[in-house]
Amino acid sequence: MGLLNGSASYSRFVTLGELPEEAVEQTWADALEANGFREIQPHSEEDMSAGWVRFDDAFESSWVPAEVIESSGVVVLRMRIDTLKIPAVTLKAHLIAVEKDRMKKLQRDKFTKTERDQIKVEVKKDLRVRSLARMQLIEAAWNIGSGELRLFSTSKTIAGTFVELFEKTFSLSLRPVGAITVLWLRGMSEEDLERLESLESERFHLAGR
Amino acid sequence: MSANDNADRTSWLGREFLTWLWFESERNSTHIELENIGAVAVDFGQSLVLEAPGLGADGNTVKSDAPTQAEEARTALRTGKKVAKTRILVDHGEQHYEVSFSAETFTFGAAKLPTVLTSVDDERLDERLALFDRLEAILDGLYVKFVRLRMDDEAWAEVRAAMYRWVVTPTE
Repeated sequence: MGLLNGSASYSRFVTLGELPEEAVEQTWADALEANGFREIQPHSEEDMSAGWVRFDDAFESSWVPAEVIESSGVVVLRMRIDTLKIPAVTLKAHLIAVEKDRMKKLQRDKFTKTERDQIKVEVKKDLRVRSLARMQLIEAAWNIGSGELRLFSTSKTIAGTFVELFEKTFSLSLRPVGAITVLWLRGMSEEDLERLESLESERFHLAGR
Repeated sequence: MSANDNADRTSWLGREFLTWLWFESERNSTHIELENIGAVAVDFGQSLVLEAPGLGADGNTVKSDAPTQAEEARTALRTGKKVAKTRILVDHGEQHYEVSFSAETFTFGAAKLPTVLTSVDDERLDERLALFDRLEAILDGLYVKFVRLRMDDEAWAEVRAAMYRWVVTPTE
Protein backbone atom coordinates (compact mmCIF):
# COMPACT_ATOMS: atom_id res chain seq x y z
CA MET A 1 0.00 0.00 0.00
CA GLY A 2 1.30 3.47 -0.74
CA LEU A 3 3.90 4.26 -3.29
CA LEU A 4 3.27 1.37 -5.69
CA ASN A 5 -0.21 0.11 -4.83
CA GLY A 6 -3.53 1.00 -3.27
CA SER A 7 -4.50 4.21 -1.52
CA ALA A 8 -1.70 6.30 -0.06
CA SER A 9 -1.37 8.62 2.92
CA TYR A 10 1.63 10.88 2.78
CA SER A 11 3.35 14.07 3.82
CA ARG A 12 5.29 16.32 1.48
CA PHE A 13 8.77 17.73 2.03
CA VAL A 14 11.32 19.67 0.04
CA THR A 15 15.10 19.43 0.31
CA LEU A 16 17.22 22.49 0.95
CA GLY A 17 20.93 22.50 0.19
CA GLU A 18 23.28 21.61 -2.65
CA LEU A 19 23.58 18.09 -4.05
CA PRO A 20 27.11 16.67 -4.46
CA GLU A 21 28.41 17.58 -7.92
CA GLU A 22 30.18 14.33 -8.73
CA ALA A 23 29.84 10.62 -8.08
CA VAL A 24 26.54 11.16 -6.36
CA GLU A 25 25.44 7.54 -6.78
CA GLN A 26 28.55 6.18 -5.08
CA THR A 27 28.39 8.82 -2.33
CA TRP A 28 24.75 8.07 -1.63
CA ALA A 29 25.13 4.30 -1.84
CA ASP A 30 27.89 4.56 0.81
CA ALA A 31 25.82 6.96 2.93
CA LEU A 32 22.74 4.71 2.76
CA GLU A 33 24.82 1.73 3.83
CA ALA A 34 26.47 3.70 6.63
CA ASN A 35 23.01 4.60 7.90
CA GLY A 36 21.51 1.23 7.04
CA PHE A 37 19.25 -0.63 9.39
CA ARG A 38 20.86 -2.50 12.30
CA GLU A 39 18.95 -5.15 14.24
CA ILE A 40 18.14 -4.44 17.89
CA GLN A 41 20.26 -6.57 20.18
CA PRO A 42 17.89 -8.13 22.74
CA HIS A 43 20.60 -8.07 25.42
CA SER A 44 21.05 -4.32 25.02
CA GLU A 45 18.90 -1.56 26.49
CA GLU A 46 17.98 -0.29 23.02
CA ASP A 47 14.25 -0.35 22.33
CA MET A 48 14.15 1.31 18.90
CA SER A 49 16.29 1.12 15.79
CA ALA A 50 15.79 2.97 12.50
CA GLY A 51 17.76 2.78 9.27
CA TRP A 52 17.57 2.29 5.53
CA VAL A 53 16.80 -1.01 3.87
CA ARG A 54 16.57 -1.77 0.18
CA PHE A 55 13.17 -1.13 -1.34
CA ASP A 56 12.91 -4.73 -2.49
CA ASP A 57 14.35 -6.40 0.64
CA ALA A 58 13.62 -5.40 4.25
CA PHE A 59 16.67 -7.41 5.43
CA GLU A 60 19.26 -5.92 3.05
CA SER A 61 21.18 -2.72 3.75
CA SER A 62 23.63 -2.47 0.89
CA TRP A 63 23.16 -0.70 -2.42
CA VAL A 64 24.58 -0.93 -5.91
CA PRO A 65 25.44 2.70 -6.81
CA ALA A 66 23.86 2.41 -10.27
CA GLU A 67 20.54 1.45 -8.69
CA VAL A 68 20.28 4.33 -6.20
CA ILE A 69 18.65 6.75 -8.64
CA GLU A 70 15.80 5.55 -10.87
CA SER A 71 15.92 6.45 -14.57
CA SER A 72 13.22 9.06 -13.91
CA GLY A 73 15.51 10.93 -11.49
CA VAL A 74 13.74 9.65 -8.41
CA VAL A 75 15.38 8.09 -5.35
CA VAL A 76 13.08 5.53 -3.81
CA LEU A 77 13.78 5.04 -0.12
CA ARG A 78 12.57 2.62 2.49
CA MET A 79 13.15 3.23 6.19
CA ARG A 80 12.81 0.32 8.58
CA ILE A 81 11.89 1.04 12.18
CA ASP A 82 11.99 -1.80 14.71
CA THR A 83 10.70 -1.36 18.23
CA LEU A 84 11.23 -3.86 21.01
CA LYS A 85 9.27 -2.78 24.05
CA ILE A 86 7.84 -5.10 26.68
CA PRO A 87 4.36 -3.88 27.64
CA ALA A 88 4.20 -2.82 31.31
CA VAL A 89 1.36 -5.23 32.07
CA THR A 90 3.33 -8.17 30.59
CA LEU A 91 6.48 -7.25 32.52
CA LYS A 92 4.57 -6.88 35.78
CA ALA A 93 2.79 -10.26 35.42
CA HIS A 94 6.06 -12.08 34.68
CA LEU A 95 7.85 -10.23 37.48
CA ILE A 96 5.25 -11.30 40.05
CA ALA A 97 5.46 -14.92 38.85
CA VAL A 98 9.28 -15.00 39.03
CA GLU A 99 9.35 -13.34 42.46
CA LYS A 100 6.85 -15.89 43.83
CA ASP A 101 8.85 -18.75 42.40
CA ARG A 102 12.14 -17.51 43.89
CA MET A 103 10.66 -16.76 47.31
CA LYS A 104 9.40 -20.32 47.40
CA LYS A 105 12.78 -21.77 46.41
CA LEU A 106 14.70 -19.53 48.81
CA GLN A 107 12.10 -19.91 51.56
CA ARG A 108 11.79 -16.15 52.00
CA ASP A 109 8.69 -14.00 52.28
CA LYS A 110 10.03 -10.83 50.65
CA PHE A 111 12.93 -9.28 48.73
CA THR A 112 14.80 -6.04 49.29
CA LYS A 113 14.34 -3.23 46.77
CA THR A 114 17.80 -3.90 45.31
CA GLU A 115 16.94 -7.58 44.86
CA ARG A 116 13.62 -6.72 43.25
CA ASP A 117 15.31 -4.28 40.86
CA GLN A 118 17.83 -6.99 39.92
CA ILE A 119 15.04 -9.51 39.27
CA LYS A 120 13.23 -6.93 37.15
CA VAL A 121 16.32 -6.43 34.95
CA GLU A 122 16.67 -10.22 34.50
CA VAL A 123 12.97 -10.68 33.68
CA LYS A 124 13.02 -7.82 31.21
CA LYS A 125 16.09 -9.24 29.45
CA ASP A 126 14.53 -12.68 29.30
CA LEU A 127 11.32 -11.29 27.82
CA ARG A 128 13.25 -9.21 25.25
CA VAL A 129 15.14 -12.32 24.08
CA ARG A 130 11.84 -14.18 23.68
CA SER A 131 10.06 -11.31 21.89
CA LEU A 132 10.03 -10.30 18.25
CA ALA A 133 10.59 -6.64 17.45
CA ARG A 134 7.69 -4.81 15.80
CA MET A 135 8.73 -3.85 12.28
CA GLN A 136 7.51 -0.83 10.32
CA LEU A 137 8.54 -0.15 6.73
CA ILE A 138 8.10 3.42 5.56
CA GLU A 139 8.50 4.33 1.92
CA ALA A 140 9.54 7.64 0.41
CA ALA A 141 10.08 8.93 -3.11
CA TRP A 142 12.46 11.83 -3.64
CA ASN A 143 12.63 13.70 -6.94
CA ILE A 144 16.19 14.99 -6.96
CA GLY A 145 15.45 17.42 -9.80
CA SER A 146 12.69 19.35 -8.02
CA GLY A 147 13.84 18.46 -4.49
CA GLU A 148 10.30 17.33 -3.61
CA LEU A 149 9.92 14.27 -1.42
CA ARG A 150 6.84 12.27 -0.51
CA LEU A 151 6.96 10.39 2.78
CA PHE A 152 4.30 7.70 2.86
CA SER A 153 3.21 8.33 6.43
CA THR A 154 1.33 11.13 8.16
CA SER A 155 2.63 10.29 11.65
CA LYS A 156 4.59 13.15 13.23
CA THR A 157 6.76 10.68 15.15
CA ILE A 158 7.70 8.76 12.02
CA ALA A 159 8.28 12.00 10.13
CA GLY A 160 10.66 13.14 12.90
CA THR A 161 12.64 9.89 12.71
CA PHE A 162 12.71 10.04 8.92
CA VAL A 163 13.87 13.65 8.74
CA GLU A 164 16.68 13.00 11.21
CA LEU A 165 17.87 9.93 9.26
CA PHE A 166 17.53 11.62 5.87
CA GLU A 167 19.42 14.76 6.90
CA LYS A 168 22.20 12.69 8.46
CA THR A 169 22.46 10.48 5.37
CA PHE A 170 22.30 13.04 2.59
CA SER A 171 23.63 16.15 4.39
CA LEU A 172 20.59 18.09 3.17
CA SER A 173 17.84 19.81 5.15
CA LEU A 174 14.28 18.61 4.74
CA ARG A 175 11.42 21.06 5.18
CA PRO A 176 7.73 20.07 5.44
CA VAL A 177 5.53 21.49 2.67
CA GLY A 178 2.74 23.50 4.27
CA ALA A 179 0.58 26.53 3.54
CA ILE A 180 3.46 28.86 2.62
CA THR A 181 6.11 26.48 1.24
CA VAL A 182 3.65 25.07 -1.29
CA LEU A 183 3.16 28.57 -2.73
CA TRP A 184 6.91 29.02 -3.02
CA LEU A 185 7.17 25.66 -4.79
CA ARG A 186 4.47 26.75 -7.23
CA GLY A 187 6.37 29.89 -8.13
CA MET A 188 4.90 32.62 -5.93
CA SER A 189 7.33 35.50 -5.49
CA GLU A 190 8.97 36.36 -2.18
CA GLU A 191 7.25 39.75 -2.39
CA ASP A 192 3.80 38.15 -2.64
CA LEU A 193 4.61 35.72 0.15
CA GLU A 194 5.53 38.65 2.40
CA ARG A 195 2.30 40.43 1.47
CA LEU A 196 0.33 37.31 2.26
CA GLU A 197 1.60 37.34 5.82
CA SER A 198 -0.05 40.71 6.40
CA LEU A 199 -3.53 39.37 5.56
CA GLU A 200 -5.98 38.63 8.34
CA SER A 201 -8.36 35.71 8.58
CA GLU A 202 -11.90 36.35 7.31
CA ARG A 203 -15.04 35.91 9.40
CA PHE A 204 -17.46 34.95 6.65
CA HIS A 205 -20.47 34.70 8.95
CA LEU A 206 -20.01 38.35 9.93
CA ALA A 207 -18.73 39.67 6.61
CA GLY A 208 -22.00 41.43 5.75
CA ARG A 209 -22.09 43.47 8.93
CA MET B 1 14.46 30.02 0.10
CA SER B 2 13.04 32.24 2.80
CA ALA B 3 9.47 30.94 2.67
CA ASN B 4 8.73 29.17 5.88
CA ASP B 5 5.61 27.56 7.23
CA ASN B 6 4.53 28.82 10.57
CA ALA B 7 1.60 26.59 11.50
CA ASP B 8 0.24 29.07 14.05
CA ARG B 9 0.42 32.02 11.70
CA THR B 10 -0.91 30.29 8.61
CA SER B 11 -3.38 27.67 9.84
CA TRP B 12 -6.28 29.97 8.96
CA LEU B 13 -5.14 30.05 5.33
CA GLY B 14 -5.72 26.32 4.80
CA ARG B 15 -9.12 26.43 6.50
CA GLU B 16 -10.19 29.43 4.50
CA PHE B 17 -9.04 27.68 1.32
CA LEU B 18 -11.14 24.56 2.01
CA THR B 19 -14.15 26.69 2.93
CA TRP B 20 -13.77 28.69 -0.28
CA LEU B 21 -13.40 25.42 -2.22
CA TRP B 22 -16.71 24.20 -0.81
CA PHE B 23 -18.35 27.51 -1.79
CA GLU B 24 -16.74 27.44 -5.23
CA SER B 25 -17.71 23.82 -5.88
CA GLU B 26 -21.36 24.66 -5.13
CA ARG B 27 -21.31 27.85 -7.15
CA ASN B 28 -19.43 26.42 -10.10
CA SER B 29 -19.57 22.66 -9.74
CA THR B 30 -19.22 21.79 -13.40
CA HIS B 31 -15.64 22.99 -13.61
CA ILE B 32 -12.97 25.16 -12.08
CA GLU B 33 -10.39 26.32 -14.58
CA LEU B 34 -6.74 25.92 -13.52
CA GLU B 35 -3.64 27.32 -15.20
CA ASN B 36 -1.62 24.64 -17.05
CA ILE B 37 -4.14 21.96 -16.06
CA GLY B 38 -7.48 22.91 -17.54
CA ALA B 39 -10.89 22.26 -16.08
CA VAL B 40 -11.38 20.20 -12.97
CA ALA B 41 -14.61 19.27 -11.22
CA VAL B 42 -14.46 19.28 -7.43
CA ASP B 43 -16.81 17.60 -4.99
CA PHE B 44 -16.65 16.68 -1.31
CA GLY B 45 -16.58 13.13 0.02
CA GLN B 46 -18.12 11.55 3.06
CA SER B 47 -16.38 13.50 5.78
CA LEU B 48 -16.20 17.16 6.70
CA VAL B 49 -14.54 18.55 9.83
CA LEU B 50 -15.30 22.15 10.76
CA GLU B 51 -13.40 24.00 13.45
CA ALA B 52 -12.95 27.53 14.70
CA PRO B 53 -9.49 28.79 15.65
CA GLY B 54 -8.64 27.75 19.18
CA LEU B 55 -11.65 25.49 19.60
CA GLY B 56 -9.85 22.29 18.57
CA ALA B 57 -11.87 19.32 19.78
CA ASP B 58 -15.07 21.36 19.90
CA GLY B 59 -15.31 21.22 16.14
CA ASN B 60 -18.02 19.45 14.16
CA THR B 61 -17.35 16.23 12.26
CA VAL B 62 -20.06 15.60 9.70
CA LYS B 63 -20.15 12.16 8.12
CA SER B 64 -22.70 11.35 5.44
CA ASP B 65 -22.88 10.67 1.71
CA ALA B 66 -23.23 14.41 1.10
CA PRO B 67 -21.76 16.19 4.16
CA THR B 68 -21.81 19.61 2.50
CA GLN B 69 -25.60 19.32 2.28
CA ALA B 70 -25.99 18.50 5.97
CA GLU B 71 -27.67 21.16 8.08
CA GLU B 72 -25.06 20.60 10.82
CA ALA B 73 -22.30 21.64 8.44
CA ARG B 74 -24.10 24.82 7.38
CA THR B 75 -24.94 25.65 10.98
CA ALA B 76 -21.26 25.27 11.90
CA LEU B 77 -20.39 27.76 9.15
CA ARG B 78 -22.90 30.22 10.57
CA THR B 79 -21.19 30.03 13.95
CA GLY B 80 -17.87 31.02 12.42
CA LYS B 81 -16.32 27.60 11.92
CA LYS B 82 -14.36 26.73 8.80
CA VAL B 83 -13.39 23.49 7.08
CA ALA B 84 -10.34 21.97 8.79
CA LYS B 85 -10.30 18.59 7.07
CA THR B 86 -12.29 16.97 4.32
CA ARG B 87 -12.30 14.37 1.59
CA ILE B 88 -11.96 15.98 -1.82
CA LEU B 89 -13.10 14.28 -5.02
CA VAL B 90 -11.58 15.58 -8.23
CA ASP B 91 -12.38 14.75 -11.84
CA HIS B 92 -9.87 15.80 -14.44
CA GLY B 93 -10.78 14.62 -17.93
CA GLU B 94 -11.33 10.88 -17.65
CA GLN B 95 -9.36 10.62 -14.44
CA HIS B 96 -10.85 10.51 -10.96
CA TYR B 97 -8.92 11.22 -7.75
CA GLU B 98 -9.96 11.18 -4.09
CA VAL B 99 -7.95 12.45 -1.15
CA SER B 100 -8.43 13.47 2.47
CA PHE B 101 -6.78 16.82 3.01
CA SER B 102 -5.82 18.53 6.26
CA ALA B 103 -5.84 22.32 6.25
CA GLU B 104 -3.39 22.47 9.13
CA THR B 105 -0.71 20.05 7.95
CA PHE B 106 -1.38 19.93 4.19
CA THR B 107 -1.00 16.13 4.40
CA PHE B 108 -2.74 13.81 1.96
CA GLY B 109 -4.73 10.93 3.44
CA ALA B 110 -5.96 7.74 1.76
CA ALA B 111 -5.32 9.17 -1.70
CA LYS B 112 -6.98 7.14 -4.41
CA LEU B 113 -5.42 7.51 -7.82
CA PRO B 114 -6.68 6.43 -11.24
CA THR B 115 -5.80 2.84 -12.11
CA VAL B 116 -2.25 2.24 -13.27
CA LEU B 117 -2.26 0.42 -16.60
CA THR B 118 1.17 -1.25 -16.68
CA SER B 119 2.23 -4.28 -14.66
CA VAL B 120 5.99 -3.75 -15.18
CA ASP B 121 7.46 -2.58 -11.83
CA ASP B 122 9.67 0.28 -13.10
CA GLU B 123 6.97 1.60 -15.40
CA ARG B 124 4.39 1.18 -12.66
CA LEU B 125 6.48 3.36 -10.34
CA ASP B 126 6.83 6.06 -13.00
CA GLU B 127 3.11 5.96 -13.76
CA ARG B 128 2.15 6.14 -10.09
CA LEU B 129 4.56 9.03 -9.49
CA ALA B 130 3.09 10.88 -12.46
CA LEU B 131 -0.40 10.43 -10.96
CA PHE B 132 0.78 11.72 -7.57
CA ASP B 133 2.33 14.68 -9.41
CA ARG B 134 -0.98 15.35 -11.16
CA LEU B 135 -3.03 15.13 -7.97
CA GLU B 136 -0.68 17.56 -6.23
CA ALA B 137 -0.64 19.90 -9.23
CA ILE B 138 -4.46 20.02 -9.11
CA LEU B 139 -4.73 20.63 -5.36
CA ASP B 140 -1.83 23.09 -5.37
CA GLY B 141 -3.40 24.77 -8.41
CA LEU B 142 -6.70 25.20 -6.57
CA TYR B 143 -4.87 26.56 -3.53
CA VAL B 144 -2.78 29.00 -5.59
CA LYS B 145 -5.95 30.15 -7.36
CA PHE B 146 -7.53 30.84 -3.96
CA VAL B 147 -4.47 32.65 -2.60
CA ARG B 148 -4.17 34.86 -5.70
CA LEU B 149 -7.85 35.72 -5.39
CA ARG B 150 -7.38 36.37 -1.67
CA MET B 151 -4.60 38.86 -2.44
CA ASP B 152 -6.62 40.73 -5.04
CA ASP B 153 -8.54 43.21 -2.87
CA GLU B 154 -11.14 44.11 -5.48
CA ALA B 155 -11.92 40.57 -6.63
CA TRP B 156 -11.86 39.24 -3.08
CA ALA B 157 -14.38 41.84 -1.87
CA GLU B 158 -16.93 40.41 -4.30
CA VAL B 159 -16.22 36.81 -3.33
CA ARG B 160 -16.27 37.69 0.36
CA ALA B 161 -19.73 39.25 0.01
CA ALA B 162 -20.97 36.23 -1.97
CA MET B 163 -19.57 33.86 0.64
CA TYR B 164 -21.32 35.83 3.40
CA ARG B 165 -24.65 35.44 1.57
CA TRP B 166 -23.91 31.74 1.05
CA VAL B 167 -23.05 31.21 4.72
CA VAL B 168 -26.04 33.02 6.20
CA THR B 169 -28.64 31.73 3.72
CA PRO B 170 -30.36 28.60 5.06
CA THR B 171 -30.23 25.54 2.81
CA GLU B 172 -33.42 24.68 0.96
